[in-house]
Amino acid sequence: MLSQHLGTVCQPSVRKAQAVQIGQKIGDCDAYVSAPVHSPINGRVKEIALRSHPVLGRSQAIIIEALPYHPTKRSYFTLDDDFDKDRYSVERICEAVRGAGIVGMGGAGFPTRVKIEPNPRLPKHTLIVNGCECEPYITCDYRIMLEWSRQIVAGVRLAKKASGCVRALIAIEDNKPKAIEVMNDAVKKYAYGDNIQVLTLKTKYPQGGERQLINAILNRTVPTGGIPPMIGVVVLNVATVAAIAEAVISDLPLTHRVVTVTGEAIARPGNYYVPIGTSVEDLLEFCEGVTERCAKVVLGGPMTGMAISDLTTPVMKTTNAITFLTREQIGRAKYARRQTPCIRCGRCLRVCPENLNPTKIAHAVKHNLLDVAERYYMSACIECGCCSYVCPANIELTGYIKTGKIYVARQKKRMAQ
Amino acid sequence: MLKDIRVSCSPHISEPLSTRTVMIDVMIGLVPAMAAAGYYFRIHAVVLITVCILSCVAAEWLCNAICKRPNSLGDFSAVVTGILLALSLPPKLPIWVAVIGGAFSIAIGKMVFGGLGANIFNPAMVGRTFLSVSFGVLMTSWTVPATLDPAMSDIAQENAINMRTQATPLAWSKMAIKNELGADIYHEEQFTATFTGEVGGCLGETSSIALLLGGLYLLIRRTISFHTPLAVLASAFVFASIAFFVDSYAYVEPFFHLTSGGLLLCAFFIATDPVTAPLTRRGMWLFGVGVGAITMLIRIVGEYPEGVMFAVLLMNAVTPLIDRLFERIPIGGKPSI
Repeated sequence: MLSQHLGTVCQPSVRKAQAVQIGQKIGDCDAYVSAPVHSPINGRVKEIALRSHPVLGRSQAIIIEALPYHPTKRSYFTLDDDFDKDRYSVERICEAVRGAGIVGMGGAGFPTRVKIEPNPRLPKHTLIVNGCECEPYITCDYRIMLEWSRQIVAGVRLAKKASGCVRALIAIEDNKPKAIEVMNDAVKKYAYGDNIQVLTLKTKYPQGGERQLINAILNRTVPTGGIPPMIGVVVLNVATVAAIAEAVISDLPLTHRVVTVTGEAIARPGNYYVPIGTSVEDLLEFCEGVTERCAKVVLGGPMTGMAISDLTTPVMKTTNAITFLTREQIGRAKYARRQTPCIRCGRCLRVCPENLNPTKIAHAVKHNLLDVAERYYMSACIECGCCSYVCPANIELTGYIKTGKIYVARQKKRMAQ
Repeated sequence: MLKDIRVSCSPHISEPLSTRTVMIDVMIGLVPAMAAAGYYFRIHAVVLITVCILSCVAAEWLCNAICKRPNSLGDFSAVVTGILLALSLPPKLPIWVAVIGGAFSIAIGKMVFGGLGANIFNPAMVGRTFLSVSFGVLMTSWTVPATLDPAMSDIAQENAINMRTQATPLAWSKMAIKNELGADIYHEEQFTATFTGEVGGCLGETSSIALLLGGLYLLIRRTISFHTPLAVLASAFVFASIAFFVDSYAYVEPFFHLTSGGLLLCAFFIATDPVTAPLTRRGMWLFGVGVGAITMLIRIVGEYPEGVMFAVLLMNAVTPLIDRLFERIPIGGKPSI
């Protein structure tokens, strides 16, 4: 898949029938906001064609056929005890992060290098490491924190140095006491005097949203339509931070990631270390299939994930979970897509973490009044899904708002031309 | 395996809540008031409530059929409207008048605007207003509760003219103001009576305790928020107190105002109707204060003894303006562009 991040789509840098090695770059692009793609296996390029993409529908992909006998496991990352962050200059860290194709692994997929690179216009002072996995069902970040705590601390130190932050905060929700304990230990042992702190936050949804996280920790709000660096903050996911350590210290590109396979319908749920590009189908087979009651396959968690119809869709850099939901989990009304008119109960207003008016925006979009939707600050929506979740009329408020945003983006594009 | 998978927009799970469950909650909240009505007015209550519900449901079905719209009876909102209308009518109202009221509530109060969610005014109050304007005498003939006069129902069946009637506490107070009789005709027992419901008045408005019980249920279930009821009752209390302190001879005690008439029914069940009330919390405060203030204004200086109905309708009319007044600003502030 050549579009695994926000930004410009990569161009394939391999030909059909070419042999590729683990970690070999197979797609890249010169644009600043972009990230290269690497092969996770040894094999041969079978085809370069369009394949199902969870967000874009279809996108160009490089299909690599694995060699019949090959070590699927890549060499595991090892961390020297004498790791010294002074060995790595800011430029070197940034280059390594870019070269390894690291993007935000929490879901948005923004190229990490762009985030951590020092920007004289927007100096950064605080690095927040997001260990608040607030969506139900997902546990991959939790697992990473338990098992790779040392690697995370190393990554935090590197990211902190690269971004020029004076302090780093690791935020974890209080429903993960074990992770808090383990991370505290790791910081004590491996921080070597760096200003790194582990913070405990209240468990709630959407605590792990960038804007919500900053608000909860620093009690400051990111301006509407703005980005965290405007108030001097960088937020990185724990998985991203771990990938930074791998990339900088061992020069390993981002080719594998931890994926939570979950939901009531899956036979063998768990966290799996998966080569990026593995199809959902293969993963499903590995997890011994689903029960008959499976009604929805979602890439990501149940609140913000994308439902897919094509099981050949691959795991991407941003895929933190695959959730197999049963009919009961979806809820009968939602399964049947039964909607009633809005009764203006205001529940969506109460739950909106951005203090918006979801019902007004959704109705404006429904009647194609995009200017009205914008007047209710449609673009400030973070698409957390809370409004649709509570709506007694079962209106797909988040869906309408997402649609409206796409329409506005298209309109702007047309105006620009 | 995986033959029938669905695709839709996120989120893929939802709270087990529907418009129907919200309406059923309101109905459960109204059960104490209906029970009290049944206890005090016996067969009249049962007949009136049944007739109102049936006429509302029939009107909604008919409107949908005529306009070729999908059937919307499943959301139970017509039933709620029927119950609220019945509870705000005099117990001895002739059945045909109740039928007209129910049909008018739904057809003109709700369906002409496009059905549930689109109506500007509370349908039950639209129906009641229509009836009180059209059938003024019938709408102000109050029956004595059966517990005070066991023979009431029999007598009434024999001859409607013989029906014993009793003015409502608020009508008394109005007379007292007009005739300068003084408000001392109220006694401790009458205050207790308005609390339990053993007085003349509309079907469901007499028993304060039943209404409070139902309101408490809705608050606990979070079907309604406390803002509107609190604002309505607080502002009514403040205005009644002002009147009482200005002239305690002519005006009744403020607590009396709270427990009598339709104020409690309005505070918990009518002003909280989400469709016709503002969306925001601050809007709800303003709405509630407006309802309470207008009610007391009508009760104290107006011509009518009771003002809840008009207060609710007037505030319904300004709801869109209130919503516009309290626009929500994103937590990140207004975008700078």
